[in-house]
Amino acid sequence: MGQQLNVTSVPWVDSGDAPPLALDRDKRDIISQGIADPLVDYDIVPLTYTNSRWSAFFYRCDEKDLNHILPKCLDLEDDVVEFWYVDHLHTGLGPYGEMGVTVSASHKAGDGNTYYAGYYPYMYLTQDAAVFAGREPFGFPKKIAYIITQEHGGKEDDGYGGFGNDYFNFTLERRGYLIHTATGRYDDAELPAKPSFYGDPKYGRMNLRLITQPDLMSTKWDLTYLPSEVTEATARAMGRPETVGQHRFQLKPESIRTASANAIRTWALCATPFDNLGAFMPVKEMIGLMTFSFDLIIPGAQTIWTQTIERTPEDIGDLLFATPYQYTMRHRFPKPPGV
Amino acid sequence: MAELFAVTQIPGAETGEIPPSPVDRDEKTAFIYSLVDPIWDIDTLPLTYTNSRWSAFFYRADEKVLRRVVPDCLEVEDDIVEFWYVDHNHTMLGPYGEWGATVATSHKAGDGKTYYAGYYPYMYLTQDAAIDAGRVLGFPKKEAFIRIVEHGGAPDDGYGVQDSKIYGFNYFSFLMIRNGYVLHSATGKYDDADLPAKPAFYGNTEYGRMNMKVVTSPDVAESRWELVYLPSLMTKELATLIGRPDTEGSHRFQVKPESIRTASAGQINWFMQATPYDNLGHELPPKELLGLMTFSFDLIIPAGQVLWTETYTRDATWSGAAKPYRYGLRHRFPKPIGLGA
Repeated sequence: MGQQLNVTSVPWVDSGDAPPLALDRDKRDIISQGIADPLVDYDIVPLTYTNSRWSAFFYRCDEKDLNHILPKCLDLEDDVVEFWYVDHLHTGLGPYGEMGVTVSASHKAGDGNTYYAGYYPYMYLTQDAAVFAGREPFGFPKKIAYIITQEHGGKEDDGYGGFGNDYFNFTLERRGYLIHTATGRYDDAELPAKPSFYGDPKYGRMNLRLITQPDLMSTKWDLTYLPSEVTEATARAMGRPETVGQHRFQLKPESIRTASANAIRTWALCATPFDNLGAFMPVKEMIGLMTFSFDLIIPGAQTIWTQTIERTPEDIGDLLFATPYQYTMRHRFPKPPGV
Repeated sequence: MAELFAVTQIPGAETGEIPPSPVDRDEKTAFIYSLVDPIWDIDTLPLTYTNSRWSAFFYRADEKVLRRVVPDCLEVEDDIVEFWYVDHNHTMLGPYGEWGATVATSHKAGDGKTYYAGYYPYMYLTQDAAIDAGRVLGFPKKEAFIRIVEHGGAPDDGYGVQDSKIYGFNYFSFLMIRNGYVLHSATGKYDDADLPAKPAFYGNTEYGRMNMKVVTSPDVAESRWELVYLPSLMTKELATLIGRPDTEGSHRFQVKPESIRTASAGQINWFMQATPYDNLGHELPPKELLGLMTFSFDLIIPAGQVLWTETYTRDATWSGAAKPYRYGLRHRFPKPIGLGA
């Protein structure tokens, strides 16, 4: 006879360590599907990050390449690209690894304002809630990948407190293909250039969100914008009115390490059948690496440009690129076990 | 000097198997982001599945429990829940593991018509593109670690095990873990018994599938709920679009009868628990386990139809449940490394 055990208790709700169950709450407090158990729930709001570690390679990219990847509503502002990894340990979404690319861009809005921002054409993370918290409301173009961010060496440690961080190693893999890896040793050199948004609070962040209707008959494009400084509304929502006007991204200057281009020992960037970053954003000139620790808050976003693409039944036919029940190299890769 | 290595050629681009990036196509064909490299693209459509393996536990649940997990715009039609795992090896989204729960429901639409469907309150998958493609249609997908094992009873020589039509495996094991906690595990042995009951939607083409999609605005000021419906039968439009007019009216889900194995309730060891991150074990416990049915199938998933919508708005006084820069039980779990290298 089979044995059965069903453990239905939720002691963390009674203790206040977890919020009330979604089905016991006001529907306004449900911000993502499924409605019985949201993938991204309201206990991530306000979304804060503490003592994350950012490692940003800077390189020059051909302007033609950068204009190729930017949406038509944006203008390119700088040829220095930020190619970054982050190790997140303490966040409202739990811990995760992250990789992304940021390009300086601007948008001339209908109200006469010009918005400047770092635009994200590519992002990868190691965790589902963080991917969809970024994708669904804000338009961050996040996928899931295997990511390693590593700093070590330079001093011995006893297992308590800090450890050495002279050497670095970063790896990004997806679907069995290496997308990127870089290794080297910090030399704490002055870097000859940085992206234009470094230290300039005029630059916020921008994403392009595409929301397609379930019947595929229309897709709404939203250019979303997050300002760099804490607004009055965000400060009030956090209960920290004194933070109005501060940068959302609080860098810890004492934590900075740098590596000149020569101190970056290896760099491999590859296009794959599943991810075209290596084809579309190759390095023209490597500038260096800057690593630092930081705190962050991510607020709600503003939509500053939008267009809706309507499709006819014939247009739907153009979406059917595949042959039914026939599978190609893009459909064949090692089966992920999940995380 | 740094050793720079750059591979800028996309493998397969030269064969036509891979579509050009949306930035190099008519913008009408861009429908998922990022614009330059979408998480899934037009080579996913039409979305078909070949020789997937479905393992469905059936159990009765308390009707009060079912009423609670089903949204207000739906009626519960049956107290038997389908609690299923799927092993997908050949799909337009690539291979992945999947788990879900399906409840028989109906919706009385504004046009006077009643739509019957299996409604999904919970789903988990092992892969990002499949999660996102499903969420566009309202499937409530999260990512989890999922294991599906059938083995024993049919020694093999190492050739053709996965793709041949050998269904002689006698033992099974299913396991689902998320954020370090086991959500569910079941083990046992097939006895090919007749099961005493099945969910109302089994073999009934009147039942399609339904999801509740939630679209939240970038400023988080509103969320629009959309009840999405997918019919069970191939429509004329879809059959024409995929160039197979002969499939009109056939079921989208083609079970391979020769592949069916079953296990009666007495053959099943079952463990399920609620976790701080996933409330399935709390909200949908079995009242009476009925058995397990496993079978292989082909499938096509069409676009969805929105039957009902409602919008919830939030003003400036709304706030979430987190404290800024303070982290609790739900923010602490083993750091995932991604999809696995």
